[in-house]
Amino acid sequence: MDLRQTLAAELARRRSRNRRYSLRALARDLDTDHASLSQFLRGRRHLSARKLQQLGRRLHLGAADIAEACEQHNADAIARLGRLKSFRPDSRWIATRTGLPLDLVNAALTRLLHQRRLAMPAADRWSFSSHA
Amino acid sequence: MPNPVIRWQIVSPEPNKASRFYEKLFAWKLSTANGLGYRELVNGTGRGVDGGVWPAPPDKPGLVQLVIEVEDVDETLLAAVKLGAQVIVPKSVLPDGDTMAVLLDPTGLSFILCQLRSRS
Repeated sequence: MDLRQTLAAELARRRSRNRRYSLRALARDLDTDHASLSQFLRGRRHLSARKLQQLGRRLHLGAADIAEACEQHNADAIARLGRLKSFRPDSRWIATRTGLPLDLVNAALTRLLHQRRLAMPAADRWSFSSHA
Repeated sequence: MPNPVIRWQIVSPEPNKASRFYEKLFAWKLSTANGLGYRELVNGTGRGVDGGVWPAPPDKPGLVQLVIEVEDVDETLLAAVKLGAQVIVPKSVLPDGDTMAVLLDPTGLSFILCQLRSRS
């Protein structure tokens, strides 16, 4: 579940019914900020887990889909962090830096390993692929 | 016996609840003093196999995995794939130094290969 794609598809669906339906109208209907939504759709902004959950509920997504979107969001956040020179391959450090509970960090690391977006070739060296 | 089962792992959607349950029921010692904050459960008798609890991804069911010690993860991976296994997490080195990989056996059950730090 990619919430960005879901939102883009929802916008396209509403536009197919009403050619004048705008991104601003979608933001209004989802009770969110137009600028934030616009930047999120263009991949220039990352939303908080709470905001993702709110958007998911307003899009009438199921709980499993919302959870999936949030987990993907957490994995993406860790992958971005992993590109910093100051990155430390340590779950607790990642939890501190991202503000995520340790369990969510570890679940997201599992997801990244499954997706082959994270490799752990040595205990002190984790490498993240660039397509996060 | 070669390649012993050295640990078990419960992957739980409620890792706190699961680990506390087993801690209380069996008086196992619970510890998170490791590189990943993994909930280790140790029976303290020196017998049997110790294990731990790992968080499941949101909305995914719980499961139990066996961790099997091998001398060489690469070699065993190749042998497993030849026998029909599927690699779901490739060889990885954990912060504590152990090397592991996660596979699905030909019946769809996941298990973990582990090469201990001292042998890596």
